[in-house]
Amino acid sequence: MASINDQAKWKPRRLHAGFIGWGFILLSIIGISIFYFYPMVQALILSFQSGMGASLEFVGFDNYIRLFNDPTFTSALTNTFIYLLIQVPVMILFALIFSVLLNDPTLKFRGFFRTAIFLPAVTSLVAYAVVFKYLFAADGLVNRFLLNINIIDQPLQWLNDPTLAKFTIIIAITWRWTGYNMIFYLSALQNVDKSMYEAARIDGASALQQFFFITIPLLKPIILFTSIMSTIGTLQLFDEVMNITSGGPGNATLSISMYIYNLSFEYTPDFGYAATVSYVIVFLVVILSIIQFKVAGDRD
Amino acid sequence: MIKNRNKWISTALITCFTVFILAACSSNDNESGSDEGGSTNSDSIVVWAWDPNFNIAAINLAEEHYEEEGFTLEIQENAQDDIVQRLNTGLSSGTMNGMPNIVLIEDQRAQSFLQSYPDAFYPLGDYFNTEDFAEYKIPPTSLDGEQYGLPFDTGVTGLFYRSDYLEEAGYTHEDLVDITWEKYIDIAKDVKEETGHPIFSFDPSDFGIIRMMIQSAGTWFTTEDGEINLENNEALKESLEILHQLVDQDLVSLHNDWSGFLASFNSGEAATVPTGNWIVPSIEAEESQAGLWKMAPIPRLSTEGSVNATNNGGSSFYVLNIDGKEAAAEFLGATFGSDIDFYNDLVQEVGALGTFIPAAESEGYQFENEFFGGQQLISELSEWMEDVPAVNYGLNTYGLSDILVEQFQQMLNGKSVEDVLSDAQTQAENQFR
Repeated sequence: MASINDQAKWKPRRLHAGFIGWGFILLSIIGISIFYFYPMVQALILSFQSGMGASLEFVGFDNYIRLFNDPTFTSALTNTFIYLLIQVPVMILFALIFSVLLNDPTLKFRGFFRTAIFLPAVTSLVAYAVVFKYLFAADGLVNRFLLNINIIDQPLQWLNDPTLAKFTIIIAITWRWTGYNMIFYLSALQNVDKSMYEAARIDGASALQQFFFITIPLLKPIILFTSIMSTIGTLQLFDEVMNITSGGPGNATLSISMYIYNLSFEYTPDFGYAATVSYVIVFLVVILSIIQFKVAGDRD
Repeated sequence: MIKNRNKWISTALITCFTVFILAACSSNDNESGSDEGGSTNSDSIVVWAWDPNFNIAAINLAEEHYEEEGFTLEIQENAQDDIVQRLNTGLSSGTMNGMPNIVLIEDQRAQSFLQSYPDAFYPLGDYFNTEDFAEYKIPPTSLDGEQYGLPFDTGVTGLFYRSDYLEEAGYTHEDLVDITWEKYIDIAKDVKEETGHPIFSFDPSDFGIIRMMIQSAGTWFTTEDGEINLENNEALKESLEILHQLVDQDLVSLHNDWSGFLASFNSGEAATVPTGNWIVPSIEAEESQAGLWKMAPIPRLSTEGSVNATNNGGSSFYVLNIDGKEAAAEFLGATFGSDIDFYNDLVQEVGALGTFIPAAESEGYQFENEFFGGQQLISELSEWMEDVPAVNYGLNTYGLSDILVEQFQQMLNGKSVEDVLSDAQTQAENQFR
């Protein structure tokens, strides 16, 4: 009897709990639908339209065809991939090295170093970009330093030379985001069992071997996560380019996001084509993430 | 007990959440209310402009000169880029909420707004006489025979130069008057040799100098009918060659933003500054150089029809087609559109040179500028202003400039000017159909 009674009581309570649960989720579902999904669908519709400002009309796949004949888009895409292919691996390597160094329990002032390396990640994007712009100006600190130690005899045109300008942007992003990624690795390292390193040492493994055969395999899921996040971040790169070089010289540092900005606000506005270019970013993020999952991800 | 406590906690959480959301919403309302108060308060006329020392000061002065009862003006300062963005997003959304009554738009951008958002602007042709203004201001500010913009400042150019450096290189003022850019290159070589100074500072991403050169010959990147006009544009070809020589022979220094540009002459590095007259206050900002600067007319191209006068920058007022448009238009017409006294004060108090021709006779225009060795800058500039060839800037000035900027980088790497122009033409035709 008692059990039947219990069941009878239990059912409505379960329903009730479900209702409250759904109530909580509903808020975010509505929020995400209104502020994410609805604009995404609208942008997709917009990407099939073209025209000046408010006078848009449907043009079918014209915008997508136009992409392939647009040298500015091609150079924006190339630049973004150069940033991606050089900057993301370098940054992840630095972040890994820093996190392993700073995880050493015998290191003094660990807290200080961790904070110092993480600190760039809390600075405002615009503020740090402006600082970098002045550091790398023709008469900036970097040039003065290099001149004073006699490495160069003429100031380098960091911001006006196509190759050096790309390099400057890469240095800036690496400075800003290395500490951020390091924190992920540091926290993951806290979950690595110390006895594994102990066993490895007993077996005679060197520090380098420990790094490559214990640390990296165990951090693999986190490395995958950070590389996907960094890839997405680099594809959306805007603030640094806008503030340090405004895409120049020529289009040597133009990123895809900055081209979208130019199409919407700098030139005669064509929001339709700008939406098409932004869907290219969506497409690339999906493709690159799938590749990264296939290459690095385990099935679980 | 536990059940009760859980219930209590969840109720408290929901309450907090609700209060938070409500608070967030209501504070938003307050903010937008005070931010864009003008749109809700129909009594005052809202103006967007960007420079407190220049165009905003000019509007304030105009308000002082305007004696209409019950007229109040609310000036909202927005950076120029922000104005462009807010107009674009606001007008394309189709609602006029939060839009100002009067907005200042740069001339080289104006056509893109007028053509992209038909019916968004109110025609001003009935409120002032277009013949009172410098002729070159009219094509960019009108569309299909309707006048939409009321011309404000002029970007008429001068060749501002350091008389001490030029003297050292063996040149007097007369040697600089009414010269060609070719002659200017020769002067640049001598200046570099004798004094070591670059002739001017150049921003590789800003083709203002090229735009100045081609307007002096009465051409533009596009024709009257909006056709892209790069490949067979003789003036443009000559301009690119001149710039190429200056950069290639290391006669210029490089900068890449506004502060770098200011530093290039305030530091005493650059020997000349060929640009719009709006640079004068910035040159005067370095007081230690008083008396060392002078002004000559801008050089011309050897292409047929080129004159020693051109324009760089300059903007005009537009009235949006919303409630209060008549009041806004009357205000502009009675001040910027016709008031000679106002222009006299404008030149003396703000240092802004308008494009209103009848004002040129007024006393303020005869002012002798001590910083420039007693030269009557304003008077000379306003004379040149009447000679500036009129061109229609069309829709894609900035887009086409960017294409040329990129092609010019390739020209520095050895690409021929013919290839540069034909590639730019193909690229532009693909991009701006």
